[in-house]
Amino acid sequence: MSAYKTYVTDVLIVGAGLAGERTAVEAAENGLDSIILSLVPPRRSHSTAAQGGMQASLGNCAMGEGDNPDIHFQDTVKGSDWGCEQDVARLFTETVPIAVRQMSHWGVPWNRVVAGKKTLPDGRELEEKKEKEGLITARDFGGTAFWRTCYTSDGTGHTLQYAMDSLVLKHGCTVHDRIEAISLIHDGEKCIGVVARSLRNGELIVYVAKSTVIATGGYGRLYGASTNAVINEGSGMFIAQDTGIVPLGNMEAVQFHPTGIVPVWILVTEGARGDGGYLLDKNHHRFMPDYEPKKKELASRDVVSRRMTQHIRAGYGVESEHGPHLWLDIRHLGKEHIYTNLREIANICKNFAGIDPANELIPVRPTQHYSMGGVRTNADGHAYGLKGLFAVGESACWDLHGFNRLGGNSLAETIVSGMVVGKKVSEYTLGASLEYSEQTIKDEVTKQENRIKDLISGKNGNENVYKIRGEMEQTLMNYVGIFRKGEDLQTAVDKLQELHQRAQKVGLQSSGEGANPELASALRIRGMVRLALCISYGALQRTESRGSHAREDYPKRDDENWLKRTLAYWPEGAELPQLDYEPVTITELPPGDRGYGEHAG
Amino acid sequence: MLSQRILTKNPKADAYLDAIEMATGICLVSFLWAHMLFVSTIILGPEVFNGLSEFFDIYLLSYIGVPAIAIIGLIHFVVAGRRIPTNIRDQKIIWQHAKQLRHTDTWTWIFQAITGMAILVLAALHIWAISTGWPIRAESAAERMQAFWWFYLILLALGEYHASIGLYRVFVKWGWFPRKPIFFVLKVVTVIIVALGLGAMWVFLQLGGAA
Amino acid sequence: MGNRTLTFKIFRYNPQKPEVKPYMQEYKLEEVSGMTIFVALNKIREELDPSLMFDFVCRAAICGSCAMVINGRPTLACKTLTKDLPAKISLLPLPVFKLVGDLAVDTGTWFRDMAIKTEAWVHTTKEFDPTALEERMDNKTAQEIYEPDRCVECGCCVAGCATANIRADFLGAAGINRVARFMLDPRDERSPEEYYEVVGAEEGAFGCMGLMACDDNCPMEIPLQTQLSFVRRKMLAQGLKLKTEKVAL
Repeated sequence: MSAYKTYVTDVLIVGAGLAGERTAVEAAENGLDSIILSLVPPRRSHSTAAQGGMQASLGNCAMGEGDNPDIHFQDTVKGSDWGCEQDVARLFTETVPIAVRQMSHWGVPWNRVVAGKKTLPDGRELEEKKEKEGLITARDFGGTAFWRTCYTSDGTGHTLQYAMDSLVLKHGCTVHDRIEAISLIHDGEKCIGVVARSLRNGELIVYVAKSTVIATGGYGRLYGASTNAVINEGSGMFIAQDTGIVPLGNMEAVQFHPTGIVPVWILVTEGARGDGGYLLDKNHHRFMPDYEPKKKELASRDVVSRRMTQHIRAGYGVESEHGPHLWLDIRHLGKEHIYTNLREIANICKNFAGIDPANELIPVRPTQHYSMGGVRTNADGHAYGLKGLFAVGESACWDLHGFNRLGGNSLAETIVSGMVVGKKVSEYTLGASLEYSEQTIKDEVTKQENRIKDLISGKNGNENVYKIRGEMEQTLMNYVGIFRKGEDLQTAVDKLQELHQRAQKVGLQSSGEGANPELASALRIRGMVRLALCISYGALQRTESRGSHAREDYPKRDDENWLKRTLAYWPEGAELPQLDYEPVTITELPPGDRGYGEHAG
Repeated sequence: MLSQRILTKNPKADAYLDAIEMATGICLVSFLWAHMLFVSTIILGPEVFNGLSEFFDIYLLSYIGVPAIAIIGLIHFVVAGRRIPTNIRDQKIIWQHAKQLRHTDTWTWIFQAITGMAILVLAALHIWAISTGWPIRAESAAERMQAFWWFYLILLALGEYHASIGLYRVFVKWGWFPRKPIFFVLKVVTVIIVALGLGAMWVFLQLGGAA
Repeated sequence: MGNRTLTFKIFRYNPQKPEVKPYMQEYKLEEVSGMTIFVALNKIREELDPSLMFDFVCRAAICGSCAMVINGRPTLACKTLTKDLPAKISLLPLPVFKLVGDLAVDTGTWFRDMAIKTEAWVHTTKEFDPTALEERMDNKTAQEIYEPDRCVECGCCVAGCATANIRADFLGAAGINRVARFMLDPRDERSPEEYYEVVGAEEGAFGCMGLMACDDNCPMEIPLQTQLSFVRRKMLAQGLKLKTEKVAL
């Protein structure tokens, strides 16, 4: 084993998106030292891409009047199709108004209430009250009873991340960017830190910490068509699962966003529909009211995505070389609104599709967007199985979202979980001591060094990493999409098992020297295929439909047998995840009808 | 920070330099344009031109004005010239940068530096020429023009280019107007001034030819 | 269209291996409809040369990772469509920033240093009160703050800036724009004197020569001229007001 650099800190945070940075700020405010590792500079994190907004029941705008955390709680639980942890949802909805105001205190230029009368695109009239003028306003999002989504035009994630990162700078938290954690160091009971690889020069670095927080975001890039950034490969999830003792929760719960632009799969924010945009079919007919007379385009995301797919299957899709799609129409919102409040959308349409949305229709189709599942933690954010390991944000299954996340609840979760879990991390860390055996670290480094050596030398084979990756992406796209069937899922599991075998026989085409990008991909591929297997196998076993998990062969929600959460472990040497189940915490709202979508069975 | 840096720190200096660059520049542009208007009175006839010239002499404006402008010009040269890279490596970077970027405003700045230096030399010669042939009258000017028309053609072109682009840059830097419209306005002004200058030169050449 | 063969000339250099001098490498690709430089570079990496280094994150012109010099101009590679380019495409890494390898540059460190130098966070003496309503703000003010806050720190303005190319300590348009963002923010309690400390010098507002390559090359179309001149005017007004005390030796 060659020499390696070691860093020691109190709190090690893997991932510098909003959740990771909020955790670092909380740790800093508790007097703790922290190091944040990030694949990219923090301000490039995928959190910045969240355009639409952050849900908080402030009730300042006219259409939000009467809103409160209770109603936000109910919307969240219904949205999750009763798959979420209700104690977590309660804590979340009570905290999020404070989080929004704190972010305002830290510099986010939230859009504010402007007093006066307004006419909405659908003709409704409303009046913003004088006494609310200047308070944080909100827009409409799917699956919510009130207008509750706070925003800064359509760069909400961007302004939040920039404000959060400014706090990180102010507190002097250490950030190491272009560093990728490739495995956790643990002794079977406690997490000691990570082995990381520098994406600047390829060297291995050891980080040792009293507590380790995974904040690496989602795994969108397992799917061929995803709105996610290219760095969203689920790395935090699979390095946790690789320990064999930390389970991933509800991996089969995958959200498809109704409006990804065809064929570049870049997201058009829900704000487009929230602000009054329509979905049209090939006859330019607005079809959503036919399926969902009450919520129309603004039912929850899983429902809208399913209705769109259903409508396309009924032959109403617009044919194109990239397969059938539907139209998103925001022309009636007017140039001024589009070029100010929805400017990013206008830019994206112009840059990537050559379309001016003020005059033209936008081609859209449901696209993989969010992973509800992740590293299973308790309400404190502490991961199951290992002491000193925490997870926050999308990479965690804290379980705020159950089987479907509401739009605007993900940004909100990143910050609230950073606050809440950050506090718990601090409490834990203040009481923890740094005890570890040097041998544990050496063993892990040697293991990783050998992995790298084998990949470079081609000792295990010469499978092409990009080929395996492409086949995995296609398998998930074709067989584990919006509507699922037992036979398709079985096909996916079989294919992915084959890919899992091949992923262990990867050999590099290039030299693998230094910051070689092929080596980085090769180090991830096995973990990614395992995540894909967790999704497919979990979906195959779950013989009901709940939220985003829609089985055509089991179209009803089955609370009697399936009101429970999947836990997927990966024991050393296994070919398939080992599934376990745990009950869902229900404290207030017993399972019932969501008020939209297919009725509960 | 190094102790000599702390001791020599003058936070006002950079602001003043920037203000001086702008103020002297505006002075020189105003002078140039006024000068060209006065010179072009020759188009209205030698009497008008000589009358104006005598008027300036009587009130001693020329005797104050010429040295004053020369000094302002020198100050402007030194202050604005501080931006020109003096080492070879930076020079190379700038040229390479401009060639690669193919960006109008970057090229105009390079030309600005070049024309600025050329104007320093040409204007000095011009001042020397007029002061040795004092007073300025239509006839003497016509003689100069006859002999050195190519010199004045170059000075007119460089001077007006430098003035217009310089003024444009002042507007850009201080943001009093949006830059696209102001660029257009300055182009129009330049055309007028150059036309006047050329007109005056033509009349002088006719006069000189007649003499 | 659609069946052009594109020739990419790509800058290759790995600072880890200084013995191999920088060179331009050629790759040929068939153009497909809707092809961007993002699509093309990934194709090159996956099919022709897995060692090629470049950066992409969001691939939707939101994150600012993929700025590079395309046919001479700094811009975001993800939103550059090959159909808008000639069949010969040259790709260089952004100048000014430290090279990581090939087309990847370290904009992160540069921007972090800039943010620390300008103390780019809201300076306030107020404590956050979790029980109180948020402080009110005019929506117009919020939108004015958002305008410069939209900067994605891609570095195109810095790469295109003649001053930044020769002065390592120059804050660049991105830096001055960042300061403008806090000047516009009523929550930031810094006085003009304090801002003057940050940008009232040749390294800041007065270093700009007004070439406006920043404004012309900004992929986010932020009105940088407006932001730069706003800061310059404020700083001049402050600079002329300053009284300096001489240190007696």
